[in-house]
Amino acid sequence: MIFAEPIIAPGGDRFVVVYFGDDAAIELNFLALGLKAALAEAGLKGVVDTNPCYNSLVIEYDPDALDYDDLLRELRALAAALGPVDTLELSSRLAYLPAMYLDPWTKEAIEDYCKRVKPREFDPAFVARLNGLSDVKQLVRVHSGTEHWVISVCSLPGLPLLRPLDPRCLLTSPKYDPPRLWTPPNAICTGGMSTSIHTLRVPGGYNLIGRTPVPMWQATQALPIFKDSVVLLRAADRVKFVPIDLEEYHDIEARVNEGTYAFNVTNYQRFSVGAYRA
Amino acid sequence: MISVIKPGLETSVQDWPGRIGYWEQGFPPSGPFDSWSFRLANVLVGNQPGEAGLECQFMGPTLRFERAAIIAVTGAEMNPTLDGAPLELWASHVVKAGQILALGPARKGARSYIAVAGGIDVPPVLGSRSTFHMAGIGGIEGHAIKAGQTLPVGESKSVPGRRVKPAARPTIGESRVWQIEAVRGPNDDWVDEAAHQRFVSVDWKLQARSNRTGYRLDGPEWTFTPRATNKRPEHGEHPSNVLDHGYPVGTVNLCGQTPIILVVDAPSTGGFINPYTVPSAAFWKLAQAKPNDIFKFNLVTVDQAHELRRAIDRLCTPASLE
Repeated sequence: MIFAEPIIAPGGDRFVVVYFGDDAAIELNFLALGLKAALAEAGLKGVVDTNPCYNSLVIEYDPDALDYDDLLRELRALAAALGPVDTLELSSRLAYLPAMYLDPWTKEAIEDYCKRVKPREFDPAFVARLNGLSDVKQLVRVHSGTEHWVISVCSLPGLPLLRPLDPRCLLTSPKYDPPRLWTPPNAICTGGMSTSIHTLRVPGGYNLIGRTPVPMWQATQALPIFKDSVVLLRAADRVKFVPIDLEEYHDIEARVNEGTYAFNVTNYQRFSVGAYRA
Repeated sequence: MISVIKPGLETSVQDWPGRIGYWEQGFPPSGPFDSWSFRLANVLVGNQPGEAGLECQFMGPTLRFERAAIIAVTGAEMNPTLDGAPLELWASHVVKAGQILALGPARKGARSYIAVAGGIDVPPVLGSRSTFHMAGIGGIEGHAIKAGQTLPVGESKSVPGRRVKPAARPTIGESRVWQIEAVRGPNDDWVDEAAHQRFVSVDWKLQARSNRTGYRLDGPEWTFTPRATNKRPEHGEHPSNVLDHGYPVGTVNLCGQTPIILVVDAPSTGGFINPYTVPSAAFWKLAQAKPNDIFKFNLVTVDQAHELRRAIDRLCTPASLE
């Protein structure tokens, strides 16, 4: 449900949060990303950063450059000017990411959890079973059979939070309880209704289904793809996972390390919400 | 150049205001937790207030200055000595080549700041020299300093013998009870009136499991409004669960029944509600609190929070020196 008017709430003295609705309808994220783009377009002095998520947008501002009441007024005006969600067009790239499903590294993390925390079903089998899929091979087909929408890049450097654009490919699963103690970097995992790619070796709750040899960020910005941005993906981009085997994984990884890997990311295209929903 | 003899406990290079503008790519601001003390340390040695210096946590480092330098130590009292002789806090000093600066355990407060004229000259990463150890970026090789490392120092023409006026310094560690400002929101409608009353009336105790990512508090049980208890399933099961949303820095993140104040190295999103947010003007108090200290929260408006922050900013200038 889309709120008739977005709810805008303060987050201390440097942040405000705009909520567009109360559920997980993907249209609410489109609106959040529409407002993010409109703010950038407006070039409002004093807007420092924006941080979108499922149905909301956090705005960080510099109160010495932008008055709080002026910011609220501007946000309400820009949100109202977005119009109906079907009229939105967002700048979006399509990134093809090689993905080794059922890889040995996430398997090791799952086995370590079973040994040290508590036994559990192998994550890909668990997700397949919960979603009525015949086996893990079908899970791979379903997960790699859709473009995934980048809701946000958040939580960890370069971590994309993804949702399938084809609703038939939606996978849902509960998170680990208690959380996993560690996750291999670049693990592809699903939880709730989303997919993410963990970019650091950190604890985690999402179910592990694969791993990509492609980095999501590079602090040194040495690889040409990172020249203009330290992270690979941005909110409103799309991701298509391309299944690979272990040999291809090692080959791509070696080429990434050599600096010769050609990332497969399209230039910006216009993503029409109306056309998507039609 | 400075050689690290003993690193102390998680001593790291930080600059102010930190790595700003990368929240949407998953990077927190980092930077000095008590930016009031930090900026005054820089001002004392003639630096710009934000230049890179060292943040020392709970136990300070031992450092040998390979070249003469002008330094200042501010913030928590870690009994600093120079070649064994006590070194006055909140003042700038000449250090001769070969002299050793040693800081001990924090006696009052929790975080000390060491500024060196010229600043710690490490390359900026995403516009900041601040260390963010989780991602291994900024500072010295992305992590807290280690014994045997050297810290490069920039050039400067500075004069020693300056002192911060007592009225311009934060009052650190006179009491183990801290009055912490908080602004209501963004999710204040998820907890009920009784919870709002408790928030400002009870003593909240700082847990030992607290760091630059989050400050965990012990206190009474929370009670909720129907917004939290009777909600759509996608928000999650516990009343404190919400569909993942972005987190303001400083927000009081209610994780089950445990409030965690998300601070300078916090994650940018998550699935718990944020009934209050601690404004930037109160961060120095969080930074200087020790485990088991008591927090008492005082609600302020957004406008009051801006005024409080501006009052501190006005003190972080050479006008505060005598």
